[in-house]
Amino acid sequence: MDAVFRALADETRRTLLDRLRAEGGQTLSDLCVRLAMTRQAVSKHLAILEDANLVATVKRGREKLHYLNPVPIHEIADRWIGKFERGRLDALADLKKALEEK
Amino acid sequence: MTQGKFDITRYHPKTVYVTYIAATPEQVWQALTDPAFTRQYFGGLSVDVEPRTGGAFRLLYPDGRVHIAGEVIEWSPPRRFACTWVVEGMKEFGELPACLVTYEIERSGESTRLTMTEAHDWDVPKAILAGGAAGWPAILSSLKSVLETGKPLAVAMSMPDGMVEAIQKAVAEKPWLK
Repeated sequence: MDAVFRALADETRRTLLDRLRAEGGQTLSDLCVRLAMTRQAVSKHLAILEDANLVATVKRGREKLHYLNPVPIHEIADRWIGKFERGRLDALADLKKALEEK
Repeated sequence: MTQGKFDITRYHPKTVYVTYIAATPEQVWQALTDPAFTRQYFGGLSVDVEPRTGGAFRLLYPDGRVHIAGEVIEWSPPRRFACTWVVEGMKEFGELPACLVTYEIERSGESTRLTMTEAHDWDVPKAILAGGAAGWPAILSSLKSVLETGKPLAVAMSMPDGMVEAIQKAVAEKPWLK
């Protein structure tokens, strides 16, 4: 769990997770687009995310495809958000979204 | 559907989920293939699988109706279990093509790494993938909890906003035939 929090405590890594959420199965080159950063730096960030199990990878030929793995975040949520709170929190999140969209 | 006709290379992974479980690969395999386990963590569904490649795979509702039906593509206990997956129990899904669900089980130090891959042979809209994205993390967390603590977690089996519309559109337009 420490590794998950450490991995999430960085803006670039959160951006990488956002990108993988929008589109799974991206290569390192795909993920480097529009990031003002060297390929090596992006690769290092991805390795930290993979070690924290927030990114899962699949080898396809010579390429490595990256996917967002939200399971550890789900496990964190389960630790502090119980069965009954979840419904109420979803309702609050929906309300917030609806109000902000107006 | 027969094994000979099934071309696994046409299927591309769209979602990949990984969890580490404090259990042996054999225990994880049993949790995936034994109805006494799936009933606890998989929204009350019972697995019913013929233990061989080419065998039938089904997930049944508590009243015995079929929710998911498919065919076992690989049966290699306790390492790899792959099956096709067609939603039969919900009429909105109509004739949506089968997806391929693969479980890979590997020992990783003291624990076991379970990887679930959902692969498709057509360009599935994001709104349809969202169904799996909403359900699988909860199901896998609950499986982990059953094996580690004997207790499942709450798993809500509902469809995200826009999923039914996306399915209806796909069933009407059949983009997989193009």
